[in-house]
Amino acid sequence: MDFGSFLAAPEIKIKIVTYRDIFQDKAMIENRFGEEYRDRSAILKLDPADFKQLNIKKGDTVILKNSFGKIVVKAEESGYEIPHRGIAYMPNSPWSNMLVSDETGGTGVPKFKDISATVTSAKGEKVTELRF
Amino acid sequence: MEKNYYVCTGCGLLCDDIEVESEKNIINKVYTACRVGVAHMKNAKGETNFLVDNKPVDEATAVREAASILKNAKNPLIFGLGTSTDETQKLAIELAKKTNATLDDTSSFCLGPLVEALLQDKLKTCTLEDVRNKADVIIFWGADPSDSHPRHLSKHSYFPRGSEKQKGWEEERTAIAIDVRKSHTAKICGNYFFQIPPGGDTEFIDALIAALSGKLPKTSYKYPPKKILELANILKGAKFGVIFAGLGLIYSLEDLEPVFRLMKVLNEKANFHLVPMVGHYNMRGFNENLFAETGYVNRVKFEDGIVKHGPEYSVVESLKAKTVDAALIIGSDPLSSLPRSVSKNLLEIPVISIDPCETLTSKHAKIYINTAVSGVEAGGSATRMDGTKVSFKPVVETVHPSDEAILKKIMEAV
Repeated sequence: MDFGSFLAAPEIKIKIVTYRDIFQDKAMIENRFGEEYRDRSAILKLDPADFKQLNIKKGDTVILKNSFGKIVVKAEESGYEIPHRGIAYMPNSPWSNMLVSDETGGTGVPKFKDISATVTSAKGEKVTELRF
Repeated sequence: MEKNYYVCTGCGLLCDDIEVESEKNIINKVYTACRVGVAHMKNAKGETNFLVDNKPVDEATAVREAASILKNAKNPLIFGLGTSTDETQKLAIELAKKTNATLDDTSSFCLGPLVEALLQDKLKTCTLEDVRNKADVIIFWGADPSDSHPRHLSKHSYFPRGSEKQKGWEEERTAIAIDVRKSHTAKICGNYFFQIPPGGDTEFIDALIAALSGKLPKTSYKYPPKKILELANILKGAKFGVIFAGLGLIYSLEDLEPVFRLMKVLNEKANFHLVPMVGHYNMRGFNENLFAETGYVNRVKFEDGIVKHGPEYSVVESLKAKTVDAALIIGSDPLSSLPRSVSKNLLEIPVISIDPCETLTSKHAKIYINTAVSGVEAGGSATRMDGTKVSFKPVVETVHPSDEAILKKIMEAV
């Protein structure tokens, strides 16, 4: 277990796997700058044990950070039966893309579904706005 | 009464059985389509917008300014086109030739290699009608059509009765999901869901090949060999099998060799086809149109009659290396869909955005031209995910010009 997880405000290393969500797609078509699209995109689904370790409640915000970016999203338990500690899920969106590496090894294909980041409680900080 | 059916261009399925109720060119009700399709077809818009530096202009000014950017660029990037008709895509290819442009589309960072392999006859494939009528073993690999292509299972791949599958899914079809998480599609597959770790696809393929060949399947992540052997037995018995390959599979592989290996063994033991889970309604059309013209499905650079091709001409590498000095983006939002670490470089060059929706890219574009929704407000033809050609007419009339009409005008002005 990494040192960060013993801190008073625990920091956990995770791998984020992105996926498609029909409700989020619909919300994007209707208004990609709207609240519904943000609510359905800027969300991280964690293993219950990781969730507990972060000392947060459902819907609390967390900070996701790596060398490519930092975003604030809401967190919840994934609801998957099989434990997946260290792996979290997030719908593919401009939010997840803020953390995707530009390292492609010259292939032209970024690792959209394989994002390494740290997660900590955002202590009430608001979800990142969609803008440049 | 004869019914009037429309085509939904909401995704690569191009469902052709859609009915609508409209009044004064506003679609009030959409029948048969999925949640995404209904939203897509009812995507009503405001006035026509032609913006230069975020200030309203007339169409002629926007077209003239766009042509001027392309003319003055040494290496413009033309990108997008997955939600454009064949007719628009062919014009974009001509425009790329005329302006010595780098031309690429979203297949460059998703299913392009798979479509290329299909066009080169390296993989056995079939139509969605074949699947409906004949398929007995259906694999969703790294794909979750219940979310990405919501009518896939109900219209084609699992639930419907087919001409040779009259007893239906309950008795005559086996649906299998191989994925890193229990997706909505995986839930439907019940006991035939095989959960593998992220990045574990190549090993799973080789273990499955071993099991198909009567050997003990092994993986470094200790997937129960018994389960892989059970899966191999089901696949061996397939009279008409199909793998629907999604991004989850493709992103996990370094190249397509494992897929070729698996398909070869599957076709020695049984009868298997592969269909790519193409997302945008005409991404495959772009690949086919460019392939017919150049022999490549994406990532090309035109230079005085010569075609260059390679990863350095992909949208991602071109933006990373800053080799392009202007961009014409058609029906795509790279500022949202590409890694921000790459797409931020678009802010340093003049961008022309041609799109029916206001997007992050259109908001930061030098020129924005708000066009008709392809397939709802403008007609044409496209290629479905399985390679079937589909033609469609507009559902309603609009004041918005089509992307085809705008490209024609830019072409004349360049």
